[in-house]
Amino acid sequence: MIACPREARVLLALLIAVASASAQEATEGSITEGFSGYAAAPEFSVVPRKDELVFYPCSQCHEFLEPDPTVRELMAPHEIEFDHGAGRIWCLSCHMLENRDQLKSALGEAVDFDAAHQVCGSCHGNRHKDWYFGAHGKRQSSWNEPRVIYNCTHCHDAHSPAIKPRKPMPAPKARAGLSLPEWHRHEKKPVWERDEKPQKPEDSDEEK
Amino acid sequence: MIRFIFAGMREAARGSVRYRTWILGLLLVIGYGLIRYIGQVRNGLVVTGMSDQVSWGFYIANFAFLVGIAAAAVLLVIPAYAFHRKDVKEVVLLGEAMAVAAVTMAMMFVMADLGRPDRIWHMIPVIGRFNFPTSLLAWDVVVLSGYLALNLCIPFYILYQRWHGREPNLKLYFPFVVLAMFWAISIHTVTAFLFSANSGRAFWHTSLLAPRFIASAFASGPALIIISLQILRKVTGYPIKQSVIDMLAIIMMISMQITVFFIIAELFTDFYNEGTHAASIHYLFFGLQGLHGLRNWIWASVVMNVIAMIILTINPLRKNGRMLNVAAVLAILGIWIEKGMGLVIPGYIPTPLGEVFEYSPSSTELAVTLGIWAFGLLVFTLLAKIAIAIDTGRVKASGDGVPKTA
Amino acid sequence: MKKNDSGANGASGHDTARRNFFRKLGRAAMAVGVTAPSMAAPAWAGATFLEAFGDFFQQHYKKMSREEIEQVLERIERKARERHGVDINCENTPPKKNAVFGYALNISKCQGYRDCVHACVEENNLGRDSQVEYIRVLEMDQGSTNLEESDHYYDPETVPTDGKYYMPVQCMQCDNPPCVKACPVEATWMEPDGIVVVDYDWCIGCRYCMSACPYSARHFNWTEPEIPAEKINPDTHYLGNRPRPKGVVEKCHFCIQRTRKDKQPACMEACPTGARIFGNLLDPDSEIRYILANKNVFRLKEELGTEPKFWYFTD
Repeated sequence: MIACPREARVLLALLIAVASASAQEATEGSITEGFSGYAAAPEFSVVPRKDELVFYPCSQCHEFLEPDPTVRELMAPHEIEFDHGAGRIWCLSCHMLENRDQLKSALGEAVDFDAAHQVCGSCHGNRHKDWYFGAHGKRQSSWNEPRVIYNCTHCHDAHSPAIKPRKPMPAPKARAGLSLPEWHRHEKKPVWERDEKPQKPEDSDEEK
Repeated sequence: MIRFIFAGMREAARGSVRYRTWILGLLLVIGYGLIRYIGQVRNGLVVTGMSDQVSWGFYIANFAFLVGIAAAAVLLVIPAYAFHRKDVKEVVLLGEAMAVAAVTMAMMFVMADLGRPDRIWHMIPVIGRFNFPTSLLAWDVVVLSGYLALNLCIPFYILYQRWHGREPNLKLYFPFVVLAMFWAISIHTVTAFLFSANSGRAFWHTSLLAPRFIASAFASGPALIIISLQILRKVTGYPIKQSVIDMLAIIMMISMQITVFFIIAELFTDFYNEGTHAASIHYLFFGLQGLHGLRNWIWASVVMNVIAMIILTINPLRKNGRMLNVAAVLAILGIWIEKGMGLVIPGYIPTPLGEVFEYSPSSTELAVTLGIWAFGLLVFTLLAKIAIAIDTGRVKASGDGVPKTA
Repeated sequence: MKKNDSGANGASGHDTARRNFFRKLGRAAMAVGVTAPSMAAPAWAGATFLEAFGDFFQQHYKKMSREEIEQVLERIERKARERHGVDINCENTPPKKNAVFGYALNISKCQGYRDCVHACVEENNLGRDSQVEYIRVLEMDQGSTNLEESDHYYDPETVPTDGKYYMPVQCMQCDNPPCVKACPVEATWMEPDGIVVVDYDWCIGCRYCMSACPYSARHFNWTEPEIPAEKINPDTHYLGNRPRPKGVVEKCHFCIQRTRKDKQPACMEACPTGARIFGNLLDPDSEIRYILANKNVFRLKEELGTEPKFWYFTD
């Protein structure tokens, strides 16, 4: 079950909003200087993630380590399950080599961990737009209050983002005193499963 | 008028040993039904077999059938008053007694089905909130109450006059009789609309439902009247002409033919190009997902209806008293199955979300149902006894005397 | 006692007089019931006689004055204390102005967890021994929208199952509700904020509304709902999750006790995948309006003309 911080940390959220707004101001008007959001999207703030991250700030260790851009399997404490991109990406596709306290967008710009959606949105642009407008993601605040939404990584483990199957909650019951019947359904076979014979079209060139 | 009522009550209380035994038996069944009903009120409707999936059951099934029986009284009223058939006029009060009994039973079935019968006053206009004319149930309350009033008041007036030895003034009550003719059709049409209004339930949402209701009512109603008139004739010696029975048999024949035709029409329309709309009728006739609780019942009903129709259609058979009674019993049973359980339950199977969940009545429902039927029989017996006694002159205002010969 | 003249509604003087008589009678009964509980001794069903008397004469929600509703709320709170030993708070929060609620559900994201179902049971004080669950999740075959092939009782080791998708169904809060038309006593109606509500103290339990509903959304209390005292949600609304008696119909009410106080409905809050989006249809900037304008939305059984305010979409 994904844990979610119950308190809407409004002050911190406001700070981040101000920070990202000022960051946007710096890059306004330039197509090579980062993604500045959707103008038509309603105002929102994002629930911060940094306090959920165990190892943050990463510079605690990485100040003293030599940066190594070789594509390889990492060792502890970074032995994670990595299942993202089917071999097209690895750690330094999203993490910044020069500054481990920041993430990296597809354009190579520094992205704060609390704004991680910019990284995800670099590749998953459609989803990012949905998230901006509220068609994707989870809203923490009420429907009527200022919009506070969760970051992508709140639900998706960035290193293995697909949602894992889990056991469902119990099925409904029959009315008190009655019991559910034994249904016998025969599954209707789709067209392509009905015949015994192979369904490939015949070669019409031969012997005709 | 008080004297008249007391005279009626006195007449109802006396009779032969056979009569008293009959009344006592009915009272016992009614008492047992009442006890089980009290259990239902205390524990809630959980004591029935109904569920969220099948939320109406045996009570409403009987209700639908009985409204049809009540409507069929009009088949005596029309020949008596519109076609001036004297032989029918002699028994028209008995038909109206049956209508009163049937409507009373129907209303009792609705009361028995309510989750909060203590809140029935919520339906009274002004002090409650009566959703008329939007709600079909509100319409049903109005038409059934009106029909009950008509079928009580008109015979009350006629019998009261006769008790005094006066001829009832036809000009006074004829408009109400005409009203009752149309009202009878309306009660059963409204009851059909109650079901067919539900566009979410494809089994009921057919324009053929109201015509089917009327046709089967006009087949099962006369059947019940034929049986009861013959019983009355035997038990009380009241002169009931065979011509009345013959007329009812012909009405029954035509109605039965139309009923069977309608069933065929339904079966063709649903099964020729069978889509999901036909799921309910598929459940009814063939079962669904391995569940087929009503299948044997409905096929039995079809067989009974067809045999009844055949007997009625073949003139020598229809004219044979014993065969006619066989046809009548088959028609009553067949239509009771088809219009009762065979109509109400498949409307809920499968549910609008596609779930197949079956229903069978519990012992409480059976007991309460028998109790209500016994009550209806009691009402009919008492009303018939009083009506016959007054009609034959045995009970009159000037003092009870010897019954008139026919 | 001051007469409440605010709701004459242009009725005839005779009708108003009759109505006022019964109102006064009911009010008197309730007043006695409220001010003199010490007079009462437990009678049938554990309720005091005076309470039952006030209960019996209680008027329809729309005809009660503010004071009468206050007394009814107090009675409900008192009953809960007697029956469950729990202090609850029953309110009558009015609808929000300029709000009509709508709901969108992303069936590409629903994984079939049923977290929404059980959160709703907890939030809305549903009887734990009864079968009532306002939300029913349907397991559908991929490639089909045939409800008759759906499985309501799926219980595999993990969800989602291959080749299936999941579609939760609950009251659609129709804008043209067939259940409202069906009710013979007007115990159910649509509030100004779009929620179709039930006055549980007015319903006579005829269940015609259940026959009329094309979505199996309405449920009946075949038995008295039993809720463990420690699980009772004390924040209740008269038209929402207050404890209900047996013999009446109930259904999803968009968590009226929460949404009228600017909170998410319990199902939306519980959903871990963010598949549920609830909002104000009258706000053009709301998430739900964006979805309706930009996503492939559909409504169940739209051809019946019920105008549900519950949309499904895929993405």
